[in-house]
Amino acid sequence: MTGPLLEVEALSVAFGPKLNPVRAVDAVSFTVNAGEAVGIVGESGSGKSVTSLAILRLVPDPPGRIVGGRIRFAGADLLSLPPARMPEIRGRDIGMIFQEPMSSLNPVMTIGDQITEAVMLHERISARRRRALALEMLDLVGIPNPAERFLSYPHQFSGGMRQRVMIAMALVCRPKLVIADEPTTALDVTIQAQVLALMNRIRSTFGTAILIISHDFGVIAEVADRVVVMYAGRIVEQGDVRSIFRHPAHPYTRGLLQSIPRLEDDRRRLYQIPGSVPAPGARSAGCPFCPRCPDRLPICANAMPPMAEVGPSHHTACWTNPGASVAGAQ
Amino acid sequence: MWKYIGLRIVDAVPTVILVLSLVFVALRLLPGDPAQVVLGDNATAAQLELFRKQMGLDAPLWHQYLSFMYNVATLRFGRSLVNGVPIIQLLAVNLPYTIQLTIAATFIGVALGIPLGVVSARHRGEPLDDVARIFALLGYAVPDFYLGAIFLIYLSLDLGLFPINGTGSGLIDQMHHLVLPALTLGLVKAAFLSRLTRASLLEVLSKDYVRTARAKGAREGRVIYRHALRNALLPVVTGLGLSILATLSGSVAIELVFGRPGIGNMLIGAVETRDYPVVQAGIIVFALFVVLVNLAVDLLAIAVDPRIRVR
Amino acid sequence: MAITIASDEPEYARSPSLVATFSRRLLTDPVTLVAVLYLGLLCLVAIFAPLIAPNDPLAQSILQINLPPSRDHWLGTDQFGRDVLSRIIYGSRASLELGLISPLLAALGGSIIGMIGGYFGGIVDRVVGRLIDLLLSFPILLLGIIVAAALGPGFWNLVMALVLAFAPRFARIARASTLSIRNEPFVEAAVAAGVRHPTIIVRHILPNIAGSIAVLITLWISSAIQLEATLSFLGLGTEPPRPSWGNIIRDGLNNLFGSAWPIVSAGFAITLTVLAFNLLGDAVRDVLDPELKE
Repeated sequence: MTGPLLEVEALSVAFGPKLNPVRAVDAVSFTVNAGEAVGIVGESGSGKSVTSLAILRLVPDPPGRIVGGRIRFAGADLLSLPPARMPEIRGRDIGMIFQEPMSSLNPVMTIGDQITEAVMLHERISARRRRALALEMLDLVGIPNPAERFLSYPHQFSGGMRQRVMIAMALVCRPKLVIADEPTTALDVTIQAQVLALMNRIRSTFGTAILIISHDFGVIAEVADRVVVMYAGRIVEQGDVRSIFRHPAHPYTRGLLQSIPRLEDDRRRLYQIPGSVPAPGARSAGCPFCPRCPDRLPICANAMPPMAEVGPSHHTACWTNPGASVAGAQ
Repeated sequence: MWKYIGLRIVDAVPTVILVLSLVFVALRLLPGDPAQVVLGDNATAAQLELFRKQMGLDAPLWHQYLSFMYNVATLRFGRSLVNGVPIIQLLAVNLPYTIQLTIAATFIGVALGIPLGVVSARHRGEPLDDVARIFALLGYAVPDFYLGAIFLIYLSLDLGLFPINGTGSGLIDQMHHLVLPALTLGLVKAAFLSRLTRASLLEVLSKDYVRTARAKGAREGRVIYRHALRNALLPVVTGLGLSILATLSGSVAIELVFGRPGIGNMLIGAVETRDYPVVQAGIIVFALFVVLVNLAVDLLAIAVDPRIRVR
Repeated sequence: MAITIASDEPEYARSPSLVATFSRRLLTDPVTLVAVLYLGLLCLVAIFAPLIAPNDPLAQSILQINLPPSRDHWLGTDQFGRDVLSRIIYGSRASLELGLISPLLAALGGSIIGMIGGYFGGIVDRVVGRLIDLLLSFPILLLGIIVAAALGPGFWNLVMALVLAFAPRFARIARASTLSIRNEPFVEAAVAAGVRHPTIIVRHILPNIAGSIAVLITLWISSAIQLEATLSFLGLGTEPPRPSWGNIIRDGLNNLFGSAWPIVSAGFAITLTVLAFNLLGDAVRDVLDPELKE
């Protein structure tokens, strides 16, 4: 297939009253290629979750609505599809995994029913075949005794197991892209590692593209080939994961990486980026990170920096980037 | 599941005992002398004494309590003071009518109220929702006996569409007599249930697992009816229990309005004529009804919601 | 344009006074305003009934039975020749008296029991809790009917019936609030310091639950009015010939072929009043405790 699998172009999502909307996502653009794993990293309030929901048009309306941009999947613009066509794409072409596996599974349906339902919604096959597919998937994600657990309810599973069930449900129709919104945040660290390893295994087995969202840079580094860094609804830096780790170009990214505690650190206090994320309604004309930025320039308060190249497969939106003024002048 | 059902049934026994004890307290220990109430102000001391002896009110309290409990357990309700009819017979005659009315009203209330609630939730904020809200508000504020009286005046008296009172004979005629009373209680019930269903459904629709169902590719109709409603109906089932009891209490007034026989009518009549044993029996029946309906609702909840079984 | 660095501490807006909030609500929400005006009018009518009512509500006259509305009798007369309008005006007294007194007394009695259970805990609380749960499983109307039937007629018996019907609901809130406050450190500190129980209850527990109780009182007034009307309709409430909207409808039912005016107007009065108190209760609740909202 030629071209990227998923192309998000200048996506904007607004919340709140029509007269005074707030942009949770502001002109966000990135791509995911077939079989690739891309991570979106940012603090709470950065707009990363809303972005992922917007791809499947699951942003709750009210209070939110997509107000601009294009989302192309396998060539077709999802935003221009009639809403009634979206259920065909959800689950079959794009799967989604959510953060809280306990509340994300229907408490009064057995997990077997929930998984076979995912098949039934998209394929016309017999009940026996559906069950076989579901069992196969449960086995693949590492649920022991799948035939027995088929009849269990979500509350009878542990957190890690529930997340595996969610993964099985999202993958059972073999979608080309899986969006994982904070898949490990609600899990213990040891279980986290297992779930991430599972995701990598699935990617290598089925060639599924992954879009993983997390506030944890470590999680992203485990899975993603490329990273998108979001702050206050905008992308501030994106590129190859190694490049970003070794040469973070944006002061915010540097701050994030510095905040990760390391074993060899002998600091007394954890590093913290001073200040806090601006409230969604309180954003100004300039770069949103400016008030907290240790490297700010006079121009930063007044003009939004354009996205410009820093290195091969590495872009950032920052006035300290020498490539920025060139891009701005064009 | 059956274990929990069994446990819940066993738990009902001390509840029944407690309820009957409370009824006993209400009847015997609250201020007011039954003998005085029944016989009036002109009764002589001797007459009062005789009455007390006949009703067993002169025995020590614990003795009264025990014989009270024993009598209830063995269904010995005594005889009416007014016409000497064994009360158990009175109950046997009146109880079916009250049950009939309650069931019919519940049926109407559920058939009207729950769909209305679902529609209100789906069209939240639109004019239909506002209309439903006004309907619910009126259902709360308008007294049921007033609604019944209005129906009686305009539909029965003026337009002659329905009979004025009684229960009728033969199936069709009985149904005809049942319409207005059941409709009165049913409309009030529908108003309450529609509100409850709407609120519950809206809450469920904002839950994560509903989002997951949509993310799996389920169409909106399936999301609502297969995923959301089943969970949304759980609190409605609990509310239904309370609502059935409310309908039961409303039936007292409605039986009066439409001149229908029933436990309520029996009770009110007995209060008027100061037929003390009948009053007692009526109170006991209602109290036991409450325990029974609550038990039934709990059992239904256990059957429907797998999470409750874990306790 | 100066840039200020956002501080870590959010600023807390100072909350306006309750009276101010309530007044603002009155001005912005026409429905609440109408309700309050209506209730104010009703109170005046009830208080000044002897001055307002055109006739004596008890005066019977065989010559004037079942008259249709006229200049002398705006709502006509009933089967005893009594002026319907005057009876309705005086009927407001029964509704307001019982509607306002009962929730207050129920709050008093119920809260005391709830607080005792919640405060002392242990077996006392288990008994109290079980009792409250049991009584709560009864619909208010049914409790009212049972108690009224058991007690017999009379004003104070009626009050008692209404109080017993509502008390469990207050008891539940009082008990729950008391239980949660009981474990707060400042209460334990007081106990350790040797402060005696009644003092702790009055000075520490009571102020904290007063808010919720106050909201509940206003919410239950409309129920109390409905209950009084229903009990009066059943013959268990306000004794005739003293008029109450409920017993006016009762008399009216015995006079269906005579005149429908008593029924229609009395029922209308009940509906309006219940609605108005309900709306008032909503406004009070929104102002005092927005978290209680649906």
